[in-house]
Amino acid sequence: MNSIKVSFRLNRKTVDLVVDSRESLLDVLRERLDTTGAKKGCDQGQCGACTVHIDGRRVVSCLTPAVQVAGREVTTIEGVAGPDGELHPLQQAFIDNDALQCGYCTPGQIMSGLACIKEGHTTDDAEIREYMSGNLCRCGCYVGVVAAVRETARKEAGR
Amino acid sequence: MNVSRRKFLAGTAAVTTAATAAVVATPHDGDAASGPPPSRRVDAREKVTGDLRYASDRLLPGTAHAVYAVATIGKGRLLEVNTKAAEAAPGVRLVLTRVDVKPPGFLQGGGHAFQSLQPLTSDRIAYRGQHIALVVADSLHAATEAAALITARYEAEPIAVEIDAPGAQKVRQSDVLPTAHDVVAGNAPSAFAAAPVKIDHEYESPQSHPVPMELIASVVQWDGDDLTIYEGTQNASAVQNGLALQLGISPERIEVLSPSVGGAFGQKNSLQTHLAPVAVAARRLGRPIKVVVPRTQTFHNASFRPASHHRIRLGADRSGRMLAAMHDVDQQTSRHDYFPAVYTELTSRLYGITNYGSQQNLVRTDVQTPGFMRAPYESPGTFAFESAVDELSYALGKDPVALRLANDTAVDPISGHPFSSRYLADTLRRGSRKFGWSERSAAPGSMRGRDGSLIGWGVAAGAYKAATAPATARLRLIPAGRTYHATIWVDGHEMGQGIRSAVARLVAEDLQLRLEHIEVGVGDTRGVPPQHLTAGSWGTATALPAVYAALKELRKKLGLGAKGPVPSGRGETIVLARSRAPGQPEAIHDRAAQGLPAGAGPEYPEFTAFSFVSHFVEVRVEPTTRRIRVPRVVSTVDCGKVASPRTAESQVRGGVIWGIGAALRERSEVDERFGGFANPTLEEYVVPVNADIGRIDVGLIDKPDFNLNPVGVKGLGEVVMVGVAAAVANAVFHATGRRVRHLPIRLEDVL
Amino acid sequence: MKPFAYTRAESVAGAITALGSPGAQLLAGGTTMYDLMKLRIETPETLVDIQGLKALNYVDHSRPDMLVLGAGARMSDVADNAFVKKNFPAISESLWRAASQQLRNMATLGGNLLQRTRCSYFRGGEPFPCNKREPGSGCAALEGLDRGHALFGGSTSCIATYPGDLAISLLAFDAVIEVAGPKGRRTVPLAQLHVEPGDTPQIEHVLSDDEIIVEIRVPRTPSGRGSTYLKIRDRESYAFALVSAATGLTLARDGSVEDCRIALGGVGTRPIRATAAERSLIGKKVTAATARAAGEIAFAGAKPGHHNAFRIELGIRAVADALQTAKTRAS
Repeated sequence: MNSIKVSFRLNRKTVDLVVDSRESLLDVLRERLDTTGAKKGCDQGQCGACTVHIDGRRVVSCLTPAVQVAGREVTTIEGVAGPDGELHPLQQAFIDNDALQCGYCTPGQIMSGLACIKEGHTTDDAEIREYMSGNLCRCGCYVGVVAAVRETARKEAGR
Repeated sequence: MNVSRRKFLAGTAAVTTAATAAVVATPHDGDAASGPPPSRRVDAREKVTGDLRYASDRLLPGTAHAVYAVATIGKGRLLEVNTKAAEAAPGVRLVLTRVDVKPPGFLQGGGHAFQSLQPLTSDRIAYRGQHIALVVADSLHAATEAAALITARYEAEPIAVEIDAPGAQKVRQSDVLPTAHDVVAGNAPSAFAAAPVKIDHEYESPQSHPVPMELIASVVQWDGDDLTIYEGTQNASAVQNGLALQLGISPERIEVLSPSVGGAFGQKNSLQTHLAPVAVAARRLGRPIKVVVPRTQTFHNASFRPASHHRIRLGADRSGRMLAAMHDVDQQTSRHDYFPAVYTELTSRLYGITNYGSQQNLVRTDVQTPGFMRAPYESPGTFAFESAVDELSYALGKDPVALRLANDTAVDPISGHPFSSRYLADTLRRGSRKFGWSERSAAPGSMRGRDGSLIGWGVAAGAYKAATAPATARLRLIPAGRTYHATIWVDGHEMGQGIRSAVARLVAEDLQLRLEHIEVGVGDTRGVPPQHLTAGSWGTATALPAVYAALKELRKKLGLGAKGPVPSGRGETIVLARSRAPGQPEAIHDRAAQGLPAGAGPEYPEFTAFSFVSHFVEVRVEPTTRRIRVPRVVSTVDCGKVASPRTAESQVRGGVIWGIGAALRERSEVDERFGGFANPTLEEYVVPVNADIGRIDVGLIDKPDFNLNPVGVKGLGEVVMVGVAAAVANAVFHATGRRVRHLPIRLEDVL
Repeated sequence: MKPFAYTRAESVAGAITALGSPGAQLLAGGTTMYDLMKLRIETPETLVDIQGLKALNYVDHSRPDMLVLGAGARMSDVADNAFVKKNFPAISESLWRAASQQLRNMATLGGNLLQRTRCSYFRGGEPFPCNKREPGSGCAALEGLDRGHALFGGSTSCIATYPGDLAISLLAFDAVIEVAGPKGRRTVPLAQLHVEPGDTPQIEHVLSDDEIIVEIRVPRTPSGRGSTYLKIRDRESYAFALVSAATGLTLARDGSVEDCRIALGGVGTRPIRATAAERSLIGKKVTAATARAAGEIAFAGAKPGHHNAFRIELGIRAVADALQTAKTRAS
């Protein structure tokens, strides 16, 4: 039996569906649930464009079999802004620091950045760079990404 | 004409003229009646929320998924493709091994595609990884599994993949491409022979891949005889016209939607060869099909930067005046197309060298056709040339910045025409000051960090042709309360460089509207056709003059003066305007309309136009393990008027990072026993990560070039990469005394 | 990917039972297994998912003699564990210098120990011959692009590098793993977990198909505090090692070496312990010369191929550098 019924939370809403055991979480999000913020850049865990949170931790959804998220809480970029569309401070910081160009890696960068801040890996720029290195950006927005994460981490620490 | 276009053009009728208050429209943010509006990226919000839909983000009802199987030999003949297992696999709807489509034609040979070879139309295998069968299934995992079940029998032939492999065939470019002549001025051989100080070295740049983060992908949907293509492309018109020719239908029946591209860097500059078979399959199945080319396949089924070998000879007098330069190039191409080598266009103009000679050769190898990857000729060309200039500075005992300044020129030494504008010297002076260049101790290995690391400071100059292409703009102004809403459609594609933001800012500034009241349409053939190729750094310098013309036309139509906001009370107004490069005939618009490349530059009738840049780079080399790090770069650019400061700065940083990647990381590896590329993943093809990048200080000269166009803009996206690799290599020499004349410079080169 | 059945284990015992069915394999973090399934290198009939087993996910530092790590603990959690950072910085560094935080959040320690090689001929599939992937087909790397291939432990069948980092630091500290199987539990010294390819490169370790790594035990030692993991690669992060060195030192009052640990990564077909190099430093002070000499001893038996000889000199220098860092921490 390769078809499996799974139930999980996606951006605070319950999702029930039958998945093939082979399907990745990334493909299920994109091709079944029309939740396309997570992007496919390699499908091999080598770029970070598909980064989402499972139970609050960042993971690559391309190497997560969809069956494994049964009973868990998945958050994608679509679940980051507030209910009325107000941006999360990190999203705003990405805009303010122009931490993006083509935007394709941006959802993954932001999901990774949110976790980086939560994990506390923001002591200095070197640590931010290291802990944001799992997200490739071919346009070359790394300087802005570091600035956005640093700025948001400091604001949150100040609260 | 298809439904979507009709709908779009009819859309204006729904707009009602709102009751208008008195006086003028609300001026843009900041209230001042003049002065530029704030610079921001107008599509940033939808990018940080994930709301922006790239091509493969379309999920149309009933979509089937397509996956290609690929050839496993390096070259030869396909004897049989066994599709039985694939056809029997669950969920599979269709397997194609042959399609009846016409050849797409090579972009540089009068056609529309990155190469002339169309897979699935003959039994020829030209390179490993070539598509040999297309599987369409109900789900992506079913299609992926079935494609893996396809096997083939081949008759293999000997191969030569790398530029120096036995069996690679070298031809003189001028013999096979009559229009590509070698740049020659004065008498370089005799001037070089007579020069008291000479440099004569060879430099090598490897084959490499653009790897934009967005995979090459299309969503294809037929509606009766009408076809809609969602694809991230820099060239919607080539996709439209080229595919129409391949399928034997009118281009009018095809719409191409590419409103936002997830990075392109030249790899998406034309019709891709994965598309036509998918269009055939979608028609046959009567369902939309999504195809996302897997990362590994993008290394073989799309273009790449060819390898190139350069011999640079520089002759100078003892005062440091460069008397002669010769730049000979061997550049890789495929067996089936001649991708031109145009390296000397720039190196002949970087300095005022009156005796210049060159010979460019093409080397035919067993690969897919290479193409234009960011700063295609200029990055490898300046790695060679600016490394040689650095070597000359040491041979002369002169400061490398002073040497460059001493050889600056206001006149193009090749054409004798003036430059439209040239602030190279300013970029060098300003960059040098900011970097603290005067603190540099000249001897290699003479600067050390506190941690014992070897410090190297290097500099290089760069330039890139200020190209321009024909464009059409359509501006619609409709009243919206006390202000107006402007919709501007223009030739162009948004690949992240910020063309939307630059266009919006120009409209906002002219009409004194808030950015929120401006909508910019690009990359969509339903807007203003054609959507001509956005490449060669001509995007902004092409779109903005057309927008400028549309704004003038609007003012004329409304009977307004040259400045100031639109008084309230005007009804809906639509204008259309066109622009083209200086000296281009009206007929150039027809060429663009056919989806063919129609850019001009750097030589225009009365001047030569380039953007210029200088890069100052600090490297730190670890004393024992010799890891090379780049903590600091100062880059200063002359791109004419800066159309969009915010996006421009980001583009500069991105170009510098590309240069660091080229200098220290990127190379597509080849195993001649198997053909194709051996490191076709983002793990093995090493691009810079965040931890590789330090400070990048951006300077923009921001002096408008009104000779080139009335907006004063020149290109930016490519020039920013030019010279970075040379500056890094020069810094590595300064740090270690090791002159590395090939890229990338890796640990083994400096141990 | 070939179709497969999926079952979620509720206990270690349940997982062992499930592994008894033909073609059953374990799924933990998935970063290796699921990846290799996408590449059609692993083709299980059944996947037994142990990711959710909380019983395997722990870090226990209550014992005075041992650091005890659950095999299901995530790499990121152990890397960030305050006790591990303080008492075994080499272990923490070998974890956070591996992969990316996303992957470390997924990957388990047990799975990481059994990570398979990144050799591109192994992963690339057809047309590359690979004895590891398809026994008897040959080895494309022997006469091919071997810049990243092994300097130690290769055979005429295979020169693929063991890619992991954690195993290197664990090896330096004499870690032992506990394994559960149908016949009960047994312990295996980490030094004996991986095997050289010989004529059977498809066999990479001594565990049987129905065994599960449940625990890793690391004897506590002062050298743990004076330790580091230096990893050198083609970029500053998110890459496998060209060469890596785990070093640990205990110094006498006069600065002479009482205990020395050196293990090498990225250069062997399995993790390498450089015991002769360790011995060479006992009783001596760590200086530029003795550290370099230890590095040279460590790499004395290296057998380069066509494009990887530079990694011998690089490795020597890496060992020397890592010893200097360990010295600073041990002092």
